[in-house]
Amino acid sequence: MSDTSPKTARDEWGTRFGFLMAMIGGMVGAGNIWRFPYVMGDNGGGAFVLAFLTLLFLLAVPGLMAEVALGRYTNKGVIGAFRDVVGRGGMVGFGVVVLLVNIALMSYYSPLIGWTLYYAVHSLLFTFTAPGFEAQAFMDSFFANPALMIALHTVVMGSIAAILALGIRRGVERIVVYAVPALVISLVIMAIRGLTLPGASEGIAFTFGVQWEYLVASETWIAALGQALFSTGLGWGIALTVGSYLREYDDVPLGGGVFTAIGESSIAILATLAIFPVVFAVGVEPDAGTGLAFVSLVQVFPEIPLGGLVAILFFAGFFLATFTSGLLITEVSVTTVSEETRLSRTQTVLAVCGGIWLLGLPSAYSTEVLDFLDFVFGNWGLPLATLAIIGVIGWVLGPERLRVLTVNRNAGIHIGTWWNPLIKYVIPTVMLFIMAYFAWENFREPEMIAGMLVLVLFPLIGYAIMSLVEGRRDTTDTAGVTGGDD
Amino acid sequence: MALSAEVLGMLAFTLLAFWGVSLWALTRTLRQESRKVDILTHQDRMDTYSPEALAELREWIEDHPNDPLADRARSQYNECVDVVTQTDRHFYDWSDADINRLERL
Repeated sequence: MSDTSPKTARDEWGTRFGFLMAMIGGMVGAGNIWRFPYVMGDNGGGAFVLAFLTLLFLLAVPGLMAEVALGRYTNKGVIGAFRDVVGRGGMVGFGVVVLLVNIALMSYYSPLIGWTLYYAVHSLLFTFTAPGFEAQAFMDSFFANPALMIALHTVVMGSIAAILALGIRRGVERIVVYAVPALVISLVIMAIRGLTLPGASEGIAFTFGVQWEYLVASETWIAALGQALFSTGLGWGIALTVGSYLREYDDVPLGGGVFTAIGESSIAILATLAIFPVVFAVGVEPDAGTGLAFVSLVQVFPEIPLGGLVAILFFAGFFLATFTSGLLITEVSVTTVSEETRLSRTQTVLAVCGGIWLLGLPSAYSTEVLDFLDFVFGNWGLPLATLAIIGVIGWVLGPERLRVLTVNRNAGIHIGTWWNPLIKYVIPTVMLFIMAYFAWENFREPEMIAGMLVLVLFPLIGYAIMSLVEGRRDTTDTAGVTGGDD
Repeated sequence: MALSAEVLGMLAFTLLAFWGVSLWALTRTLRQESRKVDILTHQDRMDTYSPEALAELREWIEDHPNDPLADRARSQYNECVDVVTQTDRHFYDWSDADINRLERL
């Protein structure tokens, strides 16, 4: 087959369930499992839940509706979607910004998926319940083994490439329709086991006890804001890409907005019920991140009846959560690069996954590099991508246009005009606030300087690339639809 | 340790607010999907807007006749009007009065 043969008709989700699971699979990641439970317990428990829920409905639900609708409206990946809205020229470079942020994100997320894979394999070998097992020493020796880290990173990117090469329906959808329910089932079983342990109620009291004074603390709202925006993956291009494969009569707001935002947060709530009762029942100090997943919990498994099986459920679920996110994050780049070049899907998958593998080597080699990139892109890169996507909808296409043309077309729920100011003013303001807040918090730190470089260089690089590329192309089509006047 | 009523209440509220809403949305959207499939097995087209959404689309077109997207909006409006007036089975709740009031743009 010729490399430059005309591309066939665009793929579509085979089922509604496949689309919904792809959205959940893309958004549920490590943060839902190892961050949310501790953040919730540490920020007033029930008070945090109220703040989080408010921000989900105020920002994440409307924002995801907008992002999915943009994908549905254009039926294109991020760069094509930006071109359809802003017209040909350098401004399409903001689509490149989203692409670059996704590639950077995946470059350090892939080694992290490798960690969960390693622990999932060891849970199957019942390593954690073996006599004489030491959790901290095991983790330290694992992180001190760069060859193993790179090997795992390679296995992860190879597996993702193999699945993505099969396409949307035959590859991504076939995996997520099983992986996401399997994740939920594993967490439910673990929650039942945890809640039936003596002493489990202390974990419930830690996470669901209401400390009302936290509701008026700015730290609670900042933590809830970060969770509502970063956990739901708003504005990263995932929802746009997944939405671009919707079928003719599919709904956007109910599935792409309400179900995705609340559903993915429900898995974080379930993870809380699965993890903290067990942790408290055994009397281990609650923690977040690697300390929770790879030390605290691993210490817990030998102490509880059927601990070996619970470890398998937890790490299998944890691996599925991170792996499906990696799959969808990479699909953002694959969809766009495939559309923007003459490469076939298989060639694109190989190029994108190979590039991400190469860029991920430093993060696989050193956890310090991974932590640094996570901080920089988490605090400035991802908000920049969100600002680009929501900004182009709010200020160029116009939310009212998108609402009447796409959001309410074939919709399962009607979205009123209240939605427009949220997209145009509230979400962009919040994203600017977040970037400024983290810059202030980390003023003159190396991470802050790197973050500022991302904020300045990524748009410049995107603008320069697209000015060059678009200038060479035929300009007879796509004039853009600027001038949204609402 | 016995859990206080406040903790239990918050646990119940959280489960209802998250899992309750998620399962409601999942069930509703999958049922709607079944209805759409059912309608499309009897006819090749289906209404794409609810009466309220179509009225808003019409209002937008009338307010923005020279918008670059006005033609696309008109086409979507007329497509829905044609389907509603020419088919028997509708996805949205269209009353006879609603249908009688419809006019192509």
